Amino acid sequence: MFGYVRPNKDELLVKEYEQYKAVYCQLCRVLGRDYGWPCRFFLSYDSTFYAMLALAVTNEGLSPCRERCACNPLKRCRYLEGDGEAYDKAAALTILLAYAKAEDDIADESPLKTLGKRLLRPYLKRKARWARVRYPYLAACTESFMAAQKEAEESGASLDPCAEPTAQLLSKVFGDIAGEDPKKAEPLKQFGYYLGRWVYLMDAADDLPEDLRTGSFNPFINRLDLWGKASLTEDERKRADEFCNAALNRTAAQMALPLNLLDLGPFTPILENVVHKGLPELQREILFLHIKEKPRRELKNL
Amino acid sequence: MTDPYKVLGVTPAASDEDIKEAYRSLAKKYHPDQYADSPLKELADEKMKEINEAYDTITAQRKAGGTGARAGGYSAYNPVGGGGSSAFRDVRSLIMSGRIADAEQLLNGVPGERRNAEWYFLKGSVLYRRGWLEEAKDHFSQACRMDPGNGEYSAALNQAMNQGSGMYGGYSPNMTTGGCNSCDMCSSLLCADCCCECMGGDLIPCC
Repeated sequence: MFGYVRPNKDELLVKEYEQYKAVYCQLCRVLGRDYGWPCRFFLSYDSTFYAMLALAVTNEGLSPCRERCACNPLKRCRYLEGDGEAYDKAAALTILLAYAKAEDDIADESPLKTLGKRLLRPYLKRKARWARVRYPYLAACTESFMAAQKEAEESGASLDPCAEPTAQLLSKVFGDIAGEDPKKAEPLKQFGYYLGRWVYLMDAADDLPEDLRTGSFNPFINRLDLWGKASLTEDERKRADEFCNAALNRTAAQMALPLNLLDLGPFTPILENVVHKGLPELQREILFLHIKEKPRRELKNL
Repeated sequence: MTDPYKVLGVTPAASDEDIKEAYRSLAKKYHPDQYADSPLKELADEKMKEINEAYDTITAQRKAGGTGARAGGYSAYNPVGGGGSSAFRDVRSLIMSGRIADAEQLLNGVPGERRNAEWYFLKGSVLYRRGWLEEAKDHFSQACRMDPGNGEYSAALNQAMNQGSGMYGGYSPNMTTGGCNSCDMCSSLLCADCCCECMGGDLIPCC
């Protein structure tokens, strides 16, 4: 996915931050163990969130440990091991989504820009096949997501139908966490639906200036009547940002309800932080501070 | 039955006040009104029932302590009511029973010239329940344009606009983070004093 689903670090307690990092590092380790060392680079905030949600919902037995970090042998890291499938599923999903994204980029962008991804493609494809053997349901979800996304964008659909494939993807993979228990599966599906929708809208809003410049497809262009404009005036940009923000807020408002109904045990504060503070913070950074357009030097003062 | 203290997330040693506090915050979390439009309504109702029972059990056990029973049960309300003279009564009852796809099919079968304000409102409600929040908002505002006086339609549009403002999650650029500082307090007190004085009273006698 896109690395949007992450906690607001400033608002975490130190112990919560340590716990988050321990899950992150453990997922990195599982990726290395199951798919080979280079696959650690596909580790993302999104899959860490998924792993943590799965650990919380299935109430896995946890055992913390400390070991040397694989990437930096001088550092000792905390790891949080689980006794269920949470990490394995999250690792499979990481690989499958990395593969889906690479394929999507290769199809969309210029051949020169995607040279690296083209070289990587056979490797990723092989890894994705492994993941499919282990978790056929997750693979089926990502495959139908890719097909549906392509169809929606090619037909030039409006905002809501374009967001549907991502929303459905997360709805299905989150629902899968709960297994057979409908009391958990229903809220998880709802939560996943709106989180996926939020991620898609955030990504589209984030790409808007770039897509305008290159003339690529973006659902917000249609919606805001920005056809044929290569760049936006300050007023237009402000209007677009506020429109995107309102759409994101409407989606975020729907996430709290299903999340309330889930029993997340010791992970409650971190997962709530992600939803109630991490996502809004990202809206602020991208839509109001435009951090991606500023030189690194300026970012330090924010 | 599960331990009522565990349901409320308190220890048996907790004071009556703490228990009331825990009950209130949970009741707010699961309040049926929030879930009125959500397919998770039943689950939320169940949770609500659970904490109500837990609270009642604890208060009954502690009756000697003299804590009052909770003030009234929470009742759910559903914005899409079964309007008596409605032209789309069948659609409304489908929406209320959660059969969204059937309701949408019926609505889509209505020819263009019969699509009045109510049609746009109901179509918006269907879209809202499906998670297509932007198109839902557009339909609600179309309904309001066609029938500006209708409270039901404007309530739906208001809700969509409020959710867009960041009141219920997400980011609001105009939100002040500081809350209320002592400077605000003083100036508010002075304002209150002025108001009192012009009505003949006095809040701060020295000024």
